[in-house]
Amino acid sequence: MTMNLLVILPVLIPLVGAVIALLWRHKRPLRDAWTLAVMVVSMLASFVLLAAVWQNGSPLVYQSGGWPAPFGISLVADMLSALFVVMVQVVMVTGVIYALGSKDTVVTYPAFFTFFLMLVTGLTGTILTGDLFNLYVFAELLVISGTVLTAVSDDKFGTEAAYKYFYISLLASFFMLLAVGTLYVSYGTLNMADLGAKVMADGERPLLWPGIALLLAFFMVKSAAVPFHFWQPDFHAAAPTPVSAMLSSVVVKLGVYGFLRMTTLLFVAQAPTIRLILLVAGVIGVVFGGLSAIGTHNVKRMLAYSTLAQVGFILVAIGWGTQLSIMTAIVFAFNHSLIKAAMLMLAGYVASRASVKSAAFDIVTGVGKPLPLAGVLFFVGSLALAGIPPTNGFVSKSLLFSSGINSTFYWSLLLIGVTSIFTLMYTIRAFQRIWWLAPAEGIYTKPAGDNLAAPVLLLIMIVALGIWASPLVTAAQEASAWLSDPSVYIQAVLGG
Amino acid sequence: MELLTAVSIGLLFATGIFQLLRRNVIRSAMGLMILANGVNLFLLTTGAYDGTSAAYTTEAGVHSDALPQALILTAIVISMGGTAFVLSMLYIISARYQTADMDEVDNLKH
Repeated sequence: MTMNLLVILPVLIPLVGAVIALLWRHKRPLRDAWTLAVMVVSMLASFVLLAAVWQNGSPLVYQSGGWPAPFGISLVADMLSALFVVMVQVVMVTGVIYALGSKDTVVTYPAFFTFFLMLVTGLTGTILTGDLFNLYVFAELLVISGTVLTAVSDDKFGTEAAYKYFYISLLASFFMLLAVGTLYVSYGTLNMADLGAKVMADGERPLLWPGIALLLAFFMVKSAAVPFHFWQPDFHAAAPTPVSAMLSSVVVKLGVYGFLRMTTLLFVAQAPTIRLILLVAGVIGVVFGGLSAIGTHNVKRMLAYSTLAQVGFILVAIGWGTQLSIMTAIVFAFNHSLIKAAMLMLAGYVASRASVKSAAFDIVTGVGKPLPLAGVLFFVGSLALAGIPPTNGFVSKSLLFSSGINSTFYWSLLLIGVTSIFTLMYTIRAFQRIWWLAPAEGIYTKPAGDNLAAPVLLLIMIVALGIWASPLVTAAQEASAWLSDPSVYIQAVLGG
Repeated sequence: MELLTAVSIGLLFATGIFQLLRRNVIRSAMGLMILANGVNLFLLTTGAYDGTSAAYTTEAGVHSDALPQALILTAIVISMGGTAFVLSMLYIISARYQTADMDEVDNLKH
């Protein structure tokens, strides 16, 4: 029983921390130190959870309130969710570190860190919950905190971008509620394990397919997959740097997590159709995201479009649907989170040193001349994004291609192989403009800006995971082995 | 009763989606609110909703399913918070641009 309490800790610690951070909102040093301490403790708790789940050999389940499984709300940690929670919390710690060293006015607002910790709570909760309606509630918590943080951004278009995102998110939450309703009326349960078992037993209910479509739409909005991507570049580019680094790296992975759960637990018999949709959406995302990233005039926007492409790669891997390619999707998601967070922080750092605070190319061109350290970091980050050794991007790309050769969808492998070149094109172009070209007249570099500690930490992890990839790959292998048999999850939750 | 609920859900959805697609931001926010009510009413119909006595009692008569009603309660609270937030953002945007026409709020394009 005490082991099972570990499941709730990564949700509970940031939630309690957020409330206490609100009490200390006017004592800045205390609030800052408290937030960092809470995030570090929460990250350690998530590592302990991962180790406990791995050692336990089957998912850990916490039945909240002591209610037995199909009736109460269960929090479930299998290898997939434990690994995703670790990913979220590691990146969020670096986000807090960046925010502490940031010169933006937004980080001085009393409630900034409260909302930041709420963002962590919401994201961790959606990943750990085993109940569809609870997933909706946590997703709303996530959306509200992310939107508030963007609406108060230093960027003067923050409010518009936040409005755009919140509007589409409210629509997405209506999709989710309708999905909850249709699935509840068809199968009489909201527990994901119970629902998975019931759908497997009877896949002929008339409202099943509308339910699947609505749930798919919800997760596609969350991960900015292609027909629902239009809010994402605006929103991620306008958010304050520490927040946009989180949104574009870990928050979009919520959708990825949802797709993995849908295809391996909830709708196993219906999975081939879902996978085909994801495959098509993924390939379009890779091509569209890559081309758009080449065409933008703003570094942060370029990286936001690049997220579209990278999430596209993950969707393609889920779409192939073999055990190897699901493992690839997990590794790719983990690695991309670290890379994209680091790259966005570096873009924000460059913008903070530019004469006007902006990441537009005509303002940051040449700004990098006096910043060699950031240049090296950005260059290594670019290599990682494009998948060149010795970085973890190489590990995920090579896994992606080797799992693609084993699948039957050669056209998609060919397309994403060709469009991978785009990544190198746009990152190197940004590098060249910021660090090689001479600055235009009137453009100068400010003597001080944001702190580089967080991207340095992330880049160390990126290179370390590139050279010593086996722990992550082994964990992902274990996770995909568990996912290949839905009864592992179902039995752990329902018992027997 | 069933026909009445079905027709009202349909009407709420139709009005909500129509208003959602208008260019006026206030109208589209109204569309969201109407749609929220349509969704909540739909959730209500997913359980038995025309019971005659209180749920979880030993009273005689037909009981209603209490779960969808609890879901609606949560959804109402969340959508109320969301609506308040949408309106406050709209206030800032319309004050900045001096217009409620979405086509004129186009600075994000650049």
